[in-house]
Amino acid sequence: MKLVVAVKQIKILGDEVEFTADGRDVDPDFLDRALNEWDACATEEALQLRERLGDCEVVVVTVGDDESEGALRRCLAMGADRAIRVDARTLDPITTARALAGAVMGESPDLVLCGVQSADSVQGATGVALAQLLGLPRVAVVNRVEWSGSGPATVQRELEGGLVDVVEVDTPAVLTIQTGINQPRYANLRAIKQAEQQEITVVPAADEGSPAFTVRRMFAPPRGEGATMLDGSPAEVAQSILDIVRERLA
Amino acid sequence: MARDPKHDVLFEPIQLGPKTMKNRFYQIPHCNGFGSEKPLSQAYFRAMKAEGGYGACCTEYCSISPESDDTHRMSARLWDEGDIQNLSIMCDMLHEHGALAAAELWYGGPHAPCMESRCVPRAPSQIPSDFEHLTYPKEMDKDDIRDVQKMYVDAAIRAREAGFDIVYVYGSHSYLPQQFLTPYYNKRTDEYGGSFENRARFWRETIEQVREAVGDDCAIAVRMSTDMFIGEAGTQLERDCLPFVEMVDEIVDVWDINVSGISEWGEDATPSRFYESGRQLPWQAAVTAVAKKPVLGVGRWTNPDMMADAINSGKLDIIATCRPSISDPFLPQKIDEGRLDDIRECIGCNICISRWEIGGPPLICTQNATAGEEYRRGWHPERFTTAENADNDVLVVGAGPAGMECAMILGKRGMRRVHLVEAQDDMGGIMRWIPQLPGLGEWARVVNYRKIQLDKLKNVEFIPNTRLDAEGVKTYGAEIVIVATGAYWAKDGLNGCSHDTIPGADASLAHVLTPEQIMVDGKSVPGNKVVIIDNDGYFMGVSLAEKLASEGKHVTLMTHLGHIAPYMHFTLEAPNQHRKLHSLGVEIVTYHLPTKIEAGGVTATHVFDVEGHEHTWDTDATVLVTQRRSDEALYRELKDSVGREGLEAEGVEALYRIGDCEAPRLTADVIFSGHRLAREIDTENPEEPLPFIRERRVPDAETVKRELSRIKEQRAREAVPA
Repeated sequence: MKLVVAVKQIKILGDEVEFTADGRDVDPDFLDRALNEWDACATEEALQLRERLGDCEVVVVTVGDDESEGALRRCLAMGADRAIRVDARTLDPITTARALAGAVMGESPDLVLCGVQSADSVQGATGVALAQLLGLPRVAVVNRVEWSGSGPATVQRELEGGLVDVVEVDTPAVLTIQTGINQPRYANLRAIKQAEQQEITVVPAADEGSPAFTVRRMFAPPRGEGATMLDGSPAEVAQSILDIVRERLA
Repeated sequence: MARDPKHDVLFEPIQLGPKTMKNRFYQIPHCNGFGSEKPLSQAYFRAMKAEGGYGACCTEYCSISPESDDTHRMSARLWDEGDIQNLSIMCDMLHEHGALAAAELWYGGPHAPCMESRCVPRAPSQIPSDFEHLTYPKEMDKDDIRDVQKMYVDAAIRAREAGFDIVYVYGSHSYLPQQFLTPYYNKRTDEYGGSFENRARFWRETIEQVREAVGDDCAIAVRMSTDMFIGEAGTQLERDCLPFVEMVDEIVDVWDINVSGISEWGEDATPSRFYESGRQLPWQAAVTAVAKKPVLGVGRWTNPDMMADAINSGKLDIIATCRPSISDPFLPQKIDEGRLDDIRECIGCNICISRWEIGGPPLICTQNATAGEEYRRGWHPERFTTAENADNDVLVVGAGPAGMECAMILGKRGMRRVHLVEAQDDMGGIMRWIPQLPGLGEWARVVNYRKIQLDKLKNVEFIPNTRLDAEGVKTYGAEIVIVATGAYWAKDGLNGCSHDTIPGADASLAHVLTPEQIMVDGKSVPGNKVVIIDNDGYFMGVSLAEKLASEGKHVTLMTHLGHIAPYMHFTLEAPNQHRKLHSLGVEIVTYHLPTKIEAGGVTATHVFDVEGHEHTWDTDATVLVTQRRSDEALYRELKDSVGREGLEAEGVEALYRIGDCEAPRLTADVIFSGHRLAREIDTENPEEPLPFIRERRVPDAETVKRELSRIKEQRAREAVPA
């Protein structure tokens, strides 16, 4: 049996931020990288399923440059069996999902786990797009998985206000995993060192197609001057607002 | 990162007489144990703050004459050419960093017992010191007054020669000029006693004379206590201090304003247990309102917003720090760079002060293991070399203060990977629950600072909820293992007085408890009456007494010592702690050692009763604060059972232990132990501390020869009378 987990190496802003020369991204020198928290939970969930079901392989897949292998090695240190990197850029959820789809399909997984979202882009779309491309049923925002290893899985979805949506889904399926489902295990130094030595399969990307969007400009918003208080009757305040809007639009 | 514009005012220069101070950060005169006789330790210690951005740094109290000799406590001295030379090193180093140097010229009167010089101190009236009870002064006549004033002038001239920019006529803490001002010390009936003008005369004249001698070149500072809190006998704000400021403001360049006398100077150097930052502002503000010259003052300032506010609201012109400059000499630079979460805040434990109070040792600091080690061990609080064996992974077992400090410094020294593994769900160890004791909340800063720093270190990972046994440590995959598993309070009454357990002391019983059982496990203290057996001597017994009494229990605090919590005398916490216990109705029993503990009572004998009569105190519960034991089980198993071969077989090349699990000690010392190991992790034998520099005289052969022959010649001129 095979469980595939799609993971992302996210970028973390430090205290100082500078932008690239073209003004479209943060200068990589000012970024730290780490395994996406949601994907750590997804990996942990796969590992726990492996422990319960036995005779199961956990494969982690990422899309990115060779620096993103750090995320894969963390998952290997946690106990994943194999890692694959699709050598492509992650421009947006759709192109990322296209890049993943080839590698994931090649593994013929019984279950695919993704994180609900990434901490840096927060689009919340890659997992669901992947399901569409794979032609698999999908359940999003899963906080509990019950599965015998074959047939439908019974999963719980986290809704607002503490409500839980219980869903039965045929497998193979794609599940996007919510944090809080488990406590991702730590890796000791031995496991980290062993993961360093493990070979990661690198595959080229299939055609990523056209990007879903392009970034025109990235910048730090200017510090506001503070609020101006508008006094007067509702009619007077409304008139002030209208004047300000007209003035700013002009 | 950039400075927050809110804090810009702290970086505005200010004129002090003929000198310009580059910003509003002033290191107030404070002791360090180095004086004039450990000149390099002194200079490097002060210069570190100048490097950290302080606009001015002061000596400690600086004796102007052998009559002002505070041995065994360490002061600086400006008696002679040698002292000028020694202190000039400090001045030069401060100037290199653009800081002003200040000398706090001091004459102690009877508070200085002259145990080295064997001189007799002079004072306005002959009353034995309320601080050094056996020391009587000579009552000054007019000649004595002229003599002592000349001592100030001569010392000021020496200070100028050494390179000092600011010269004090220091009276605070009940020293000589303030003794003249204060009826408690001054019973004179001549023109130097009685009315306010008379009592102010000595101080005013001395300032005039010092100003005349050096005032064109040096700024004249006056350090004054506004109120001694002893009523009309003491200095009082309205009656004495403000009129003095008005009278003398014109000839003073900067006012250094505080409160209290010498015998309870914890009202000035406020422990965080009793006072928040900025406690003295009302008095300082009162002086700022009448003075035209700049006013500076301390307040255990750690928060830059509070500092800026004190200046913006007109309460102070300059922010002075003592203890926060010890815990972080780089406070000004960190504020300037907007790196507020890098500030290592003072916790107000007064461990630094305790060393001076004990008399002799150099200072130490709970938060800053490098305080006092700048020259002795060459440690810089912000700079680290990459470890020569950085290409190794380290496992630190236990994230208490020692483990946290060690992991942090190892991280800063570039070790490849450091895993800080902790059984509990968060960092802090013993410092998670100690700050929960009454008044000790600020002590949690020990944990908060390190947590933030550890989080920033990419090569350090914190792993909670993981209790490693010997097998887990062995197979963890680290080349270097450091055990930091802490200590626990003895559960059997073992104590340093009888060197034995106490019959009936068994903390597994419902009516016998240890501090951890109460504070961490939540074990309930049964009934209404509690006896706390305190053979410890520092804060644990009294803190638990305060806590339980506040919760409504009737508490008896029993110690074999003559005083409860004697170490708290050194931290200046004793007077207020005693007042608190008294107001809570805590019964204090001294000189008693328990002989047995039972469900209904504790039986004890008086330690000086040779017949050993027993008395029993009724109690529902007994708390054992007898002594601590190292939690060394893991270390012992690794060292003894697994052994070196067993460890090496798994790739572990080195095993060390730090902190309380080696030997229980002060938090300052466990943090030091973690820091030292990390600084020396790449020496040949890291377990053994490298030698530190002892500043001492090692006369060369020629000097020895010369001195021996000089004495010999003198003996030859002497004869034994028939």
